[in-house]
Amino acid sequence: MSTQWLAVQSFERSQDMLGAMNTLSIHLKLRLAGVPDEERRQAAARARETLTTFFKKLDATVQETQRGEATPLLGVDPRLRQLVKSFVSAKRDRRRFHSVLFQRMPGDMVSLFASEKEEDLEALVQCLAEFRVILEEHVYEDTARILGEI
Amino acid sequence: MQEILRHSNVHVLHELDRLTTLLRDAPGVQMTELEPYYTWVKNAGEGLRQSVEQNLRDLNLGQRDILASIASETQKVTRFFHMLDQRLAGPVLRARPSDRLCLRVLRWLHEVHPQTLHIPAAVSDGQFASYPDPHWPTIYFMPPSAQTGLLYLPLFFHEFGHLLYACHEAEMDALVEQLQETLAELLTPGIQREDLHDRIEVEKRRTIVETWYAWAQELFCDAVGLTIGGPAFAHAFSLHLQMLGRGHFSLPADELARRDHPVTWLRIQLLVHRAREMGHQEDAEILDTRWKTLATALGIVADYHGFYEEEFLPAIQETIDDMLTEAEPVTYSDELTESTARASLFSSPIRLLHRAWKQFMENHDEFRQWEEREIVTFLQS
Repeated sequence: MSTQWLAVQSFERSQDMLGAMNTLSIHLKLRLAGVPDEERRQAAARARETLTTFFKKLDATVQETQRGEATPLLGVDPRLRQLVKSFVSAKRDRRRFHSVLFQRMPGDMVSLFASEKEEDLEALVQCLAEFRVILEEHVYEDTARILGEI
Repeated sequence: MQEILRHSNVHVLHELDRLTTLLRDAPGVQMTELEPYYTWVKNAGEGLRQSVEQNLRDLNLGQRDILASIASETQKVTRFFHMLDQRLAGPVLRARPSDRLCLRVLRWLHEVHPQTLHIPAAVSDGQFASYPDPHWPTIYFMPPSAQTGLLYLPLFFHEFGHLLYACHEAEMDALVEQLQETLAELLTPGIQREDLHDRIEVEKRRTIVETWYAWAQELFCDAVGLTIGGPAFAHAFSLHLQMLGRGHFSLPADELARRDHPVTWLRIQLLVHRAREMGHQEDAEILDTRWKTLATALGIVADYHGFYEEEFLPAIQETIDDMLTEAEPVTYSDELTESTARASLFSSPIRLLHRAWKQFMENHDEFRQWEEREIVTFLQS
């Protein structure tokens, strides 16, 4: 009996998150460039909600991880555990990741999601772009587990 | 970059057109039992088309700042197209008339559980597995030969357990977390020395406790299988795995740490324990004796390298009992008595699967003819 269920659930979750990040990023960048982008306004609002929930959950798990490497992560599936470890590791990689998200905690994103200030929107765009890198690497692994590699 | 993205999106559209044509002409489209699944796949294809068209509209805006996001979105739709093409379309494209047997069991299974009532189900070829995500239809994989008979159908109930877990994820994760806390306490020695040996032991304990996330889910799924399928599930599980080698009886510690499933012999022991509690003494005895006999012949003594100890058992069983209470799978005994009126268009297969295993064990020589007749009758019901 195979364990593809872990990869399938993770794939679906990551694809959803990437969709929400891309929708919100495009909407914010267009707004910052003076393009109203009315067509995407509702989808962007839904994306903010989805991502707020996700980063709150991520925050709790990251805090748990930072209690020490010997502390087990409880009630967390192995793929989400891997994503959290990738994020924690990326926080130490100042060469690749510079945004507020990687300097602070995922929970700090909540105030950025709620803000309409231009400087916050710009910071949010940078955070989303950098977190997308982690998520894209993660979903690559899920896809390889489900579909295999050439 | 803009041109590469435009070309990639147009290419996905072309490939999607080809797949849509293949699906329209596929044998599965004619099967009533597969209708909800086919509708989902068709809608997923349409949703994908809209996403690609949105990418093309965004490219036409000519804003360089959004190109990275469009690239990510293009990769996302490409990945989903591959999933649709290589996995999700499969059950419709490869559909065979013999699928009706599996599909009837699966449709019944989904329809008698309120939380899965609206989740389409399909069957595909492969080793026993499933795609259990409540936001997707569930594909159940089964080896082709097993799909045409009755004996292995109860193994669907284990896979269905993964879907039930996913439908109650928050509550289930909380229960597993409690179990992991208990195991961490049981594993922690009274005296700790804070030296190198101790640090290695701490790391080992962390590995064991984290491994139990997936193990708890697998044991829950086994319990769901036994609850719905009764002894038929236990026998199917045992028959499928008992001759697949030493690894199903014992594994080295470093191998266990990488596994998402507990060793099969341990799963058998827990099934035997639960079967006895459910009153299936005779079936439990058969399984227990069979696996012990095989282990003795192979010269294997049960050793789970600290990943499982007898003292874990009460906490594990209590957690699985709570998970079953949360998920509420239909019970084998209720289905056998036919006292419950179920909200499904399809007949319950439980009585048939129970009789099949009885027949198989008592009259093996005449089983195949008996099975063929029974399948025809079941499909006409």
